[in-house]
Amino acid sequence: MTRDTTLESGQEKAQYLIFNLRGEPFAIPLLGVKEIIEYGSVTHIPNMPVFIRGVINLRGRVVPVIDLAARFGEPPTTVGERTCVVIVELQDEAGINDMGIVVDGVNAVSDIPASEIEPPPRFGAKIRVDFIQGMWKSQDRFVIVLDQARVLSIQEINQLAEMMEDGPAR
Amino acid sequence: MTLDLTAAMQTYAAESQELLEEMERALLALEAGRQDPDLIDAIFRSAHTIKGSSGMFGLDAVVAFAHEVETLLELVRSGQRTIDTPLVSLLLRCHDHIAALVNSPPGEDPQADLLVQGDALKTELQAWLGDASDDDRTSENVWHISLRCGRELFRDGMDPLSILRYLGTLGELINVTTLDDALPPIERMDPTACYLGFEIDLRTETDKQTLEAAFDFVRESSQVHLIPPGSKTALWAELIQALPEGDDKLGEILVRTGVLTRQELAAAMGIQVIDSPDKQLGEILVEQGLAPPEAVKAALGRQAQARRTGGERYVRVEADKLDRLVDLVGELVISSTVTTLRSSHSDDRALQEAVATSARFIEEVRDAALGLRMVPIGGTFNRFQRVVHDLSQELGKQIDLVISGGETELDKTVVDRIGDPLTHLVRNAIDHAIESPEERLAAGKDPRGRLQLNAHHENGSILIELSDDGRGFDRERIASKAIERGLIDSTEGIPDQDVFQLIFAPGFSTAEQVSNLSGRGVGMDVVKRTIEDLRGTVELENRPGQGATVRLRMPLTLAIIDGFLVSVGDARYVVPLDTVEECMELGTVGRRDYLDLRGEVLPFLRLRDLLHDTTEAPARQSVVVVSYAGKKAGLVVDRLLGELQTVIKPLGEVFSALKWISGCTVLDVGQVGLILDVPVLVAQAERREVTSGHHAAALK
Repeated sequence: MTRDTTLESGQEKAQYLIFNLRGEPFAIPLLGVKEIIEYGSVTHIPNMPVFIRGVINLRGRVVPVIDLAARFGEPPTTVGERTCVVIVELQDEAGINDMGIVVDGVNAVSDIPASEIEPPPRFGAKIRVDFIQGMWKSQDRFVIVLDQARVLSIQEINQLAEMMEDGPAR
Repeated sequence: MTLDLTAAMQTYAAESQELLEEMERALLALEAGRQDPDLIDAIFRSAHTIKGSSGMFGLDAVVAFAHEVETLLELVRSGQRTIDTPLVSLLLRCHDHIAALVNSPPGEDPQADLLVQGDALKTELQAWLGDASDDDRTSENVWHISLRCGRELFRDGMDPLSILRYLGTLGELINVTTLDDALPPIERMDPTACYLGFEIDLRTETDKQTLEAAFDFVRESSQVHLIPPGSKTALWAELIQALPEGDDKLGEILVRTGVLTRQELAAAMGIQVIDSPDKQLGEILVEQGLAPPEAVKAALGRQAQARRTGGERYVRVEADKLDRLVDLVGELVISSTVTTLRSSHSDDRALQEAVATSARFIEEVRDAALGLRMVPIGGTFNRFQRVVHDLSQELGKQIDLVISGGETELDKTVVDRIGDPLTHLVRNAIDHAIESPEERLAAGKDPRGRLQLNAHHENGSILIELSDDGRGFDRERIASKAIERGLIDSTEGIPDQDVFQLIFAPGFSTAEQVSNLSGRGVGMDVVKRTIEDLRGTVELENRPGQGATVRLRMPLTLAIIDGFLVSVGDARYVVPLDTVEECMELGTVGRRDYLDLRGEVLPFLRLRDLLHDTTEAPARQSVVVVSYAGKKAGLVVDRLLGELQTVIKPLGEVFSALKWISGCTVLDVGQVGLILDVPVLVAQAERREVTSGHHAAALK
């Protein structure tokens, strides 16, 4: 995996993985993508936010799987033939964690120059604005470039899960 | 050349720590009255090795101080000084000083007060040395040393220069000739390899053993030859034959440095090589009348012993790498189960046999991999010798600590984390349980108290016991304190065991006077929590007036769990087997969630509700009766799937809010099963009832 970055010149560009979710294209940086696997054998974990589909066994490691559609407040993804799980590596205060995201299909890898990424629309995307890093015009349509750290924030998941743990008890 | 010494420094610190511990242990054993030359050897070895490795890092303060200690120890070793309590106590203080020096931040000079302290100790050491320095060895003691460095020398972290420097501290270096014959042409030279050789003449009064010890760290990789003063020419001949350089060259060096005269050299070269070149140096020494046979025998014996005790050689491996290995092996076991299953469906007998063989090996690999995480508890136990020694002196008590079962192996994590709770228990026993000598005499006991630390295997777990012969637990005192603290209302009908367990309640303390050791009421609850975090339990046994025993039951390993597999809907869960009491069928129950267990009221939890499982419940459900810390509860599940032994994996940060899951495991079909944390489940259920009860009451 190579990444072509020239920070100073303004010619900065990076590779992005373009995938499909409910008919719309989204992009995440390719750098953190470890592998893409077929969807299957997800163990459901109860009492977690609905967008946590569960965990999978990835060669002995247990990796949580996130349903992106559900994370965006839409109905959970229905599993089809092209459904797959993109395994990404996240690095934050909590350390390095792998996470899987469920997508409806993987389309391409594209070089996107930083200058071509437009700021997100102030409203209208119907996705939390802080999830969107920007928009990229590809041929005839807009690709939503996701702010991976926000979308997959472990801290936020923990807070939601804690609320659920306490919730029904009272 | 700049080197990153951080990693090496860490190894140095860890190694010094171990050596210091060994030294302390030996000193305390000496103090306890054991007369054993091995102990003195052990102390000497520790001081010496610390000195050697400190020298490599240029820690001059440590080297200088350790040298003084070593000199005194040398006298003890040679029998010129007998070891007695004041000397042991001085050496213990020296030990502490070395520890302080070793632990002072690297790269800085030790603090002034530390140096003052060191000087004071040095003066004391010299006072001991003073009257024993009647040395009768001659000053014309010139040794010849041939060193041919091994290629690995630098890579092993050694440096010939530091050896030379060290030799310089032993005496006067008269001649040092560097041999660069082995240096290959520059283009073929490996800059990390050491190609050098040295011919050294050293005037020293130290003995052969000390000189040899200077090469302890390089002996395996390098060639070292020592020629004692006044040796016969045959020895020189042998030396010349044994070394890789041409005869002439070496001879020239020897002549030039004045070790040999031309005539002697000619004579040496004329002599045929000694009949059997394989002869041990010891034998040659005896043949040449250089050392009495008994001395050689003793030295050989000592070497063999050093090899035996030093035989526990370790490789330091990052814990993460081990965990990864254990993980992979766990996977291997699972995939091998699948392979075995598949092959059993085949008609190919040869295949089945081959698969069975590999499955057997895989299980052995698993056991071996898990064994890697196991370390003996002895190191932790031995720390307490000093604790007991110091505390009992401070409190004016006489206490012996008897340790047994130190070789029992436990998971590294358990060993690392059990130290603090054990320290607390030991301190408590010394402070509270064991009486003062007067009280003991009055009670008709031996004025010397006795603490016993023991570890052994029992039923697949490890039992760590701390026994004392003190006054035992006082039910009444504990009870009244617990009532005073509002922990209970009365003790009526509460069994002894449960009353004693109250000492583990947060904020409990029975010490009438708060001493600075214990009695602040913090600690015992922490002890219990730490043990439980490690999946262990605490039991108390009381012998009123005669003492008490605290028993810590720890799991053999944290990586593997004996579990009981159950299912709810499509999901499968593992209940730790040690919490499972029995299983039964869930008959018809009323509206209330409790059932009649042989006349006992057993509250139960419906896992199905707890997990918000929406699939339809089967007609017949089962109850797993679990017990924890004396409380029983039932878990209602769909099906019982039986026992299994499985590798525990953490579920990861994302699920950290789910306190009732202690981890997960990969089941035979590659699916993930969740491991239930029974105490948390039960505690959560209790809390829910209490709060909902309050709510209901508030509404009225």
